[in-house]
Amino acid sequence: MTKPTCEDTLVVKKRDLKNDYFSLVLAPFSGAKSIKPGQFVHIRLPSTEIYFRRAFSVASVNPVKKEVEIIFKVFGRGTKILGKMRKGDSLDLLGPLGVPFSFPNKKERAVIVAGGVGFPPLMFLAEKMIERGHNPKQIEFFYGGRSKTELVELSRLKKMGIKLHLSTDDGSAGTKGLVIGPVEKYLKKHLNEKLKLFGCGPEKMLKAVDELGLKYDIKGQLALEALMPCGVGICLGCVVPLKAGGFARVCCDGPVFEIGVVNIAC
Amino acid sequence: MPVDLKCKIAGVEFANPIMTASGCAGYGEELAQIYPLSNLGALVTKSISLKVRPGYPPPRTVETPGGLLNAIGLANVGIDRFLNEKVPFLEQQKTKVIVNVAGSTIDEYVEVCSRLNDCSCADMIELNISCPNVNEGGIEFGTSPKLTEKTVAAARKVFKRPIIAKLAPNVTSIVEIAKAAEQGGADALSIINSVIGTAVDIDSWKPLLANINGGLTGPAIKPIALAMVSGVYRKCKLPIIGIGGITDYKDVIEYLLYGATAVQVGTALFVDPSAPLKIVKGLKKYLKEKKLKSVTELIGKVRR
Ligand SMILES: Cc1cc2nc3c(=O)[nH]c(=O)nc-3n(C[C@H](O)[C@H](O)[C@H](O)COP(=O)(O)OP(=O)(O)OC[C@H]3O[C@@H](n4cnc5c(N)ncnc54)[C@H](O)[C@@H]3O)c2cc1C
Ligand SMILES: Cc1cc2nc3c(=O)[nH]c(=O)nc-3n(C[C@H](O)[C@H](O)[C@H](O)COP(=O)(O)O)c2cc1C
Ligand code: FES
Repeated sequence: MTKPTCEDTLVVKKRDLKNDYFSLVLAPFSGAKSIKPGQFVHIRLPSTEIYFRRAFSVASVNPVKKEVEIIFKVFGRGTKILGKMRKGDSLDLLGPLGVPFSFPNKKERAVIVAGGVGFPPLMFLAEKMIERGHNPKQIEFFYGGRSKTELVELSRLKKMGIKLHLSTDDGSAGTKGLVIGPVEKYLKKHLNEKLKLFGCGPEKMLKAVDELGLKYDIKGQLALEALMPCGVGICLGCVVPLKAGGFARVCCDGPVFEIGVVNIAC
Repeated sequence: MPVDLKCKIAGVEFANPIMTASGCAGYGEELAQIYPLSNLGALVTKSISLKVRPGYPPPRTVETPGGLLNAIGLANVGIDRFLNEKVPFLEQQKTKVIVNVAGSTIDEYVEVCSRLNDCSCADMIELNISCPNVNEGGIEFGTSPKLTEKTVAAARKVFKRPIIAKLAPNVTSIVEIAKAAEQGGADALSIINSVIGTAVDIDSWKPLLANINGGLTGPAIKPIALAMVSGVYRKCKLPIIGIGGITDYKDVIEYLLYGATAVQVGTALFVDPSAPLKIVKGLKKYLKEKKLKSVTELIGKVRR
């Protein structure tokens, strides 16, 4: 694993993805080349009021230009400040951090389950899989949100040639209801194939994906979130309980865990 | 002219006065991924107890203005695994190692300290006396002068190298506790541990920490800690390691002026793991500007 570094970067590109979603491209970050899907960067906010860093999954990298992209939704104090950043502003980045996803075998069909703002690391995973020669038609990307406005970067996902399955709680786009419904339906139909599950999103969704994996005996990985004071494994503040007992640190034992390992609370 | 950052506590020499605080740098492995630990004056380990402790369930931390509330629950690997798994790594590091010790009975402190006496890697130990005493209704060792003296004296008997007593701020008179630690045979004092605090979610009406109470740390507690260092320095002869809210070299200078010989950096490591390196750089520059040869020239020099 590459050593994390802490560097000042500049916002080289900002996109407003509407409905409080933003994309920021930060550069130059010397570690950009080595970042793998599922890993995150820990960002210090240019504010005297917010002391701790905020973690963001990497959504894409440009190794040549040493660029790192993050996509976020404005939730609270930290993301509010990030949303106001402008091209040319500087941000202190610590990373790459965390255990990445492991790529599925090219013969396996990847069933990716993204909930809301959990989609960026999964989009990065799909992109890298294709780059490594995975057939995009072997990537089933389930993307769910509260409503149509909560689903962003759709044209980007479509361009990848993957099989996109949308769902919304209110039915304003795709299938009506929680994303997990169509996922289970799909799994049931394809149980005779080699499948691999990947998930990132709200805890309720992750718990459901975990249960599906166990129920149908399909291996896979989940990317978790937690409050992360340090992000590098030294504070023990970010732990989650394990089914086998004890705790694991989300920041460095994760954020990506195998299905069936974490006792997901919600 | 080069400036001298070396300092000495109870005969042990440190390359510089900047140490990591217990519980804020694990056992050193993660920080060593980021920079060589030889940059530190000393690494202070997470509290080590007799048995492995999984710690409290999450949520374990809350962000507060200028600080952090934490209830980790002294999660640590226990003395056996510490000696087997962590010491081989620590022995390779070119820095001084201070092993922080926790216990829930005096016997437990004694057992851990005597095991550490046989481990040459532990240059010093630091007694975390902010632990509940299960034999005395759960009151913290460090809130009673009598218990403080007894605990230090018991450790003194079995650990032959220097002992630091780490004092809790949640007491009526920290000077009294400091004197009790001195009486018990402590060689130095660490001042302070975290300040008790709590927080509630106003929507669910539930405490934000699973353990309800936690310890407040970070910049928010610096003025409290400084006053305690200052108070103890005037009444007690033991060398002091100042702790609480240190983020940059200016904070360190304040502690030194009020009487600390060295300092520990805790919560600031979470924001910037390289904070100690930046502090060392800042200290050097400050000494040069003030035309001082050694960092020790600052100790206790506040003009009252
Ligand atoms: C490994 C990791 C990867 C992450 N990746 C991303 C990412 O790619 N994009 C992204 O937008 N965020 C991501 N997050 C979450 C992010 O770090 C912030 O916590 C979040 O964006 C809110 O920060 P804030 O300072 O705005 O909110 P705060 O001021 O800290 O909180 C404001 C309110 O929002 C709630 N809240 C905080 N985080 C979330 C959340 N994730 N979901 C729902 N409610 C929340 C809090 O409970 C609080 O009530 C990630 C977190 C981790 C640990
Ligand atoms: C997450 C966390 C864990 C801690 N664990 C310990 C511990 O195990 N033993 C101990 O003596 N002090 C522990 N402390 C207290 C610190 O060593 C230090 O005294 C305190 O944080 C004040 O310094 P700071 O403001 O620089 O963080 C911990 C502090 C934090 C924030
Ligand atoms: S965030 Fe500090 S250990 Fe994970």
